[in-house]
Amino acid sequence: MSSVEITNIRKSYGKVVALSEINISIESGSFYTLLGPSGCGKTTLLRTIAGFHFQDSGTISIGDQSIENLPAHRRNVGMVFQDYAVFPHLSVRDNVAFGLKQRKASKQEIEKGVNEALRMTQLETFIDRMPHELSGGQQQRVGLARAFAVDPTVMLMDEPLSNLDAKLRVDLRSELRRIQQEMGMTTVYVTHDQEEALAMSDVVCVMYEGVIQQADTPFEIYKNPSNRFVANFVGSNNFIKTEKNSDGTVSLGSHLVAEKIEETNVSGLLVSIRPEDISIIMEGQQARTDQISIPGTVQQVSFIGREAEVHGVDANGSVIQATVRPSPEILALRAGSPIQFAFSRENLHVFEDADTGRRLTCAH
Amino acid sequence: MRALAKPRSFFGFSLDFWSVTTLVVIAVLAILLILPIASVFLVSFFDPETGRFTLENYVQVFTRNYYIKGLYNSLFVGFAGTLGACLLGVPLAYFTARFEIRGKTFISTLAILVLVSPPFIGAYAWIMMFGANGMITNFFKAIGIATPTIYGAKGIILVYSLKFFPFVFLMTKTALASVNKSFEDAAENLGCNAVERFFKVTLPLVFPAVSTGAIICFVLSIAEFGTPAILGRGFRTLSTIAYSAYTSELGGTPKMAVTVSLVMMAISIFALIIQRHILSKRRYASSLTNRPVIFKLTGWKNIAAHAFCLGVVIIAMLPTLVVMYTSFLETKGPVFTGAFGLSSYVRVLWYAPEAIFNSFRFALAAVVMIAIFSGLISYLIVRRENAVSGVIDVLMMVPYLVPGVVMAIGYVTTFRTGWFDLSGTGLIIIMILFIRRLPYGVRSTTTNLRQVKPSLEEAAINLGCSPLKAFVTVTVPLIMPGLIVGSLMSFITAINELSSTLILYVSGTVTMPVQIYVSVLDGEFGVAAALSTILLVCSGICVYAVFKLADDKESSFL
Repeated sequence: MSSVEITNIRKSYGKVVALSEINISIESGSFYTLLGPSGCGKTTLLRTIAGFHFQDSGTISIGDQSIENLPAHRRNVGMVFQDYAVFPHLSVRDNVAFGLKQRKASKQEIEKGVNEALRMTQLETFIDRMPHELSGGQQQRVGLARAFAVDPTVMLMDEPLSNLDAKLRVDLRSELRRIQQEMGMTTVYVTHDQEEALAMSDVVCVMYEGVIQQADTPFEIYKNPSNRFVANFVGSNNFIKTEKNSDGTVSLGSHLVAEKIEETNVSGLLVSIRPEDISIIMEGQQARTDQISIPGTVQQVSFIGREAEVHGVDANGSVIQATVRPSPEILALRAGSPIQFAFSRENLHVFEDADTGRRLTCAH
Repeated sequence: MRALAKPRSFFGFSLDFWSVTTLVVIAVLAILLILPIASVFLVSFFDPETGRFTLENYVQVFTRNYYIKGLYNSLFVGFAGTLGACLLGVPLAYFTARFEIRGKTFISTLAILVLVSPPFIGAYAWIMMFGANGMITNFFKAIGIATPTIYGAKGIILVYSLKFFPFVFLMTKTALASVNKSFEDAAENLGCNAVERFFKVTLPLVFPAVSTGAIICFVLSIAEFGTPAILGRGFRTLSTIAYSAYTSELGGTPKMAVTVSLVMMAISIFALIIQRHILSKRRYASSLTNRPVIFKLTGWKNIAAHAFCLGVVIIAMLPTLVVMYTSFLETKGPVFTGAFGLSSYVRVLWYAPEAIFNSFRFALAAVVMIAIFSGLISYLIVRRENAVSGVIDVLMMVPYLVPGVVMAIGYVTTFRTGWFDLSGTGLIIIMILFIRRLPYGVRSTTTNLRQVKPSLEEAAINLGCSPLKAFVTVTVPLIMPGLIVGSLMSFITAINELSSTLILYVSGTVTMPVQIYVSVLDGEFGVAAALSTILLVCSGICVYAVFKLADDKESSFL
């Protein structure tokens, strides 16, 4: 398996910019995920690597070979498709052997390659089945076996799990990750499911409107999103409107959020806080003094088993959602009940109030 | 690796396989479709002697009584025939889709057999039954009862209604099967009785399908030549006027034949545009969450429904049966002796074996070309969505709308020039069959290809196949059912073609339908019946093959 180097890739359709200045470096053997909402350019980028689209400019190298101008069938990259794309007129064996035959492999090599690929994907017993006799999950395993049977330089996966039902998706997710790690398979994985991205990846690259927003480890992406888009797209988050004071400090209600903040010419600011970092202070109780607490009223409480979600609004009308441990007191809250939302300073970030507003570094 | 860099390019266009195919397809359509139609246009607008632009031909058509009468007659039998087809087709569809009717497969099969047999066979069979010397006419005459004449407008309308109703029937039936039952339940819940529910909810919902079936009937009625030629007896329609103008202008420029034909074409296009306009305002997306239920009728209603359904298809099939029956009767000239025998078949094999041979030769050659081009064109239309493939898609509508007479005259004027003369060859007939029946193949293949996921070809390319190899190893096997069904449909319609071949044939290139037509005119009913039977059996075998191969059997025939 090889490393991938993508430099200054641009692609536009007429006036619509699909990819602008994409620079990515993927280590050999790592699992690299392109994450973003539909239309963000992630699939376009994947298909550009596969050679189904040609870039307007820029280069793509795999290992030390530059491939950006090769036609798709000469790139030797594996691809797994969202709709499986298992050839319906060929048996499992012939599907997996397809690429090997195409490469004029000998009979023994083909048999060995097919068996090895089917063993890895636990499909040995299905070797003579036709695709229509397989479930969706099994078909996608065939798609995977077929792709890595040809020993590609890099594996491309275009939302391979999104057509499967929820339970199977989670099972196949960990199996995919196991196979990827066992084989040291350099993988570029496209998904819009942020949980999937966080669970599987070595590096998550969040894209929006053809631009890379942030590429980092799943933990960094979640804990330290570099802009408002990432903070909003990955996991749930609350954004509370605030203003920069004339002395350069930032405060939320009566609490000081930051004493000094990075320069910005955007006037509006947002404070972000994850729902799980908020605790609910009942009426008549006091928040800890080291915490920020803001008064609000309950709109709705929903009990979802492991946790309870409290939806409310603060005095300025910002909607706040908190995920807390369910207790009789929490579930007894009714719409209109006065409460306080409390959270620690270190868990919050300050962003410019714009679609992809920067995260501003604060001094406390 | 430098040698492999970028696909070969030529003036900025990459000359891959599909770009070359696009160019070839455009060239073929330009020569075989656009050029002949354009030449027909030119002939109608230019004076052959002075070479000047003139509207004189059109002025004649719209002022001279002879032509106006023809125009009126065409529209009259067209509308009346279409109405008749709807009155038979819609109830038949409703009964078979919603009620328990025994022998539904039998009804559908007969309807399709009616569809694939050439209409002029029907016309001539009605003459054998109700003509001046027909079996039924003579039977009633013997007991002193005069039967109504089959000649003229009434006969033509009868034949059109009974011949074209399957289009309305099959279209409407498919639509009725996919109307969400909740709509009808809602109508009932809001206070409609069964009849109100049908007219206020069900019929409007299937109106797009009914009107599409009706428009096919109308276009075919306007273009139909054999039926008015055989049954007309002085009742002239535009198609018979065009043909007789063509034969009288033979040798010169067929300007009146062409002008009349173009008026026919304009009527068809106008009708289609109106229908499309009406339909554009009525688009009903429906999810089939609540399937229609089949209701069991009882008592006299049940008997009446069965009588209607079986009655319609059996009466429509009657002419075909009469033709088959008479083919086994001994004849003496135009007179049937009453004895059974195979002498008609012997005479066919003796006098006109080349008609059978030619029909197969031409139709098969055309169908081989159609199959190849259908695969390529449907790929361009479905997978290469650009301006050029859009144009090709639209051009595929044209052969449906251009009457055979127009096409044939276009071929004569285009392919018979001083230094280049294809007239009188088998090739010109193959060419016209190819272009006129290509849309059947393309449509069936396109429908099939739309169900094949594009990712399958991408997977093959990703695994190392060139785009051409991916098409051959993955796409072609997957669209094979559509390709075969389309080819069979093309074959059925090609082997039954009359209007264009009648203009293009010479004695060496006579085909079965032409020979049947000529035999009927010569009073050689035995030969006509034997040839018709052979033709019907061929069509029947193809229908059987389509039934075996197609998923959605009945829709394949539309």
